[in-house]
Amino acid sequence: MFNTTEEYLDALKIEMQGSDSALLQDALADAREHLSTALAVACEKNAELKEADALKIIVDEYGTPEETASAYKEVERRTSPSLKQTAAKPRSALGRFFGVYADARAWGALLYMLIAFITGVFYFSWAVTGVSLSASFVIFIFGLPLALLFLLSVRGLALLEGRLVEALLGIRMPRRPLFSHQGMKWFDRLKALVTDKITWLMLVYMIIQFVLGTIYFVLIVTVLSFSLSFIAIPFLQEFFDLGTLYIGDKHYFFPAWSYPLFVFGGFILWTIFMHIVCGIGQLHGRLAKWLLVTD
Amino acid sequence: MVDNSLATKKFQKEMNAGTASLVLLNVLNRSKEPMYGYQIAKLLEENGPDLPLMKQGTLYPVLRSLEENGLLSSMVEPSVSGPPRRYYKITDEGQSALKEWLEIWKQTKKFVDTILKG
Repeated sequence: MFNTTEEYLDALKIEMQGSDSALLQDALADAREHLSTALAVACEKNAELKEADALKIIVDEYGTPEETASAYKEVERRTSPSLKQTAAKPRSALGRFFGVYADARAWGALLYMLIAFITGVFYFSWAVTGVSLSASFVIFIFGLPLALLFLLSVRGLALLEGRLVEALLGIRMPRRPLFSHQGMKWFDRLKALVTDKITWLMLVYMIIQFVLGTIYFVLIVTVLSFSLSFIAIPFLQEFFDLGTLYIGDKHYFFPAWSYPLFVFGGFILWTIFMHIVCGIGQLHGRLAKWLLVTD
Repeated sequence: MVDNSLATKKFQKEMNAGTASLVLLNVLNRSKEPMYGYQIAKLLEENGPDLPLMKQGTLYPVLRSLEENGLLSSMVEPSVSGPPRRYYKITDEGQSALKEWLEIWKQTKKFVDTILKG
């Protein structure tokens, strides 16, 4: 029925159609690992065995693509990705508005946006250094292995980023690395990596992450300082006798009746921002899925 | 006539869904070294060749969900031939879960046996 492992994987891909792309990638990685190990063992035992015949027995034990696909879908249905179950949302509009503080996803997204600043800087430097070193060393013999190592490292980083995105943003991402170009000579492997669209998309993500990470960081710091300043106005004026508003040489004090308004305003500002953070997290998750996961 | 084979297949699938986790956890608890999917599948085949209970492909998603629940841990190691292998190891949480599961299994077995004997 199947002449090669790749044919089985293609059939599995068709059977998994409609399910999550990250789940598909995991299923393919597992099947590839099992089938090629079993095939290697079978060929070792009986060198004359044809690949197609050996594969028939192996697939018989492993299960048809249909059976395998349904097993994955079944298990996935029973387990949910991290943070998927968020706090039960209160019904009233007011409750929903302030309920954001009890929403693990909002805090996860906030943490992710802070981390994105650091990872963004790292990804950007890694991508730029790697691309320019690889490109300029290509004229030397050792330039090609260097390029291969770099492109493989990009895949590794993409997997790592995916884990981070799933843990903090709750978007299902691959849990197994992509091992598509196995059993090739290293030069062919490099060629396959270079011509694979996903490698370049991953690189684009690494560059974009730098820009986005910076924007996220600036946003958080700005909104946080505004909110905290508003909340701090009464304390600064009453306890430290510091004027809040400076115009020319003179400084002005806000009247005492406005204190609750400032405190309330600062608090509301941060609450609204938490909702925005939640939205940004979801958008960023979608971007990550689009650029880091093969379809 | 009602198609019995379909119903039997469904029954078998449902039975496997519960027992697979217990079996896999037990296998990894007994093994001193971390094991990869194919090794586990072979071990099961050697211990029960007459019982084609579950397709090997269905073990992998179960291993995965056990890992997600923290009962197993895994790491990837490159292999000489073919793609890297994922080795699974039982965690402390897995060991304590296994103890409870075995107790449940004993009770279930006793209960079903008693009922079936009438």
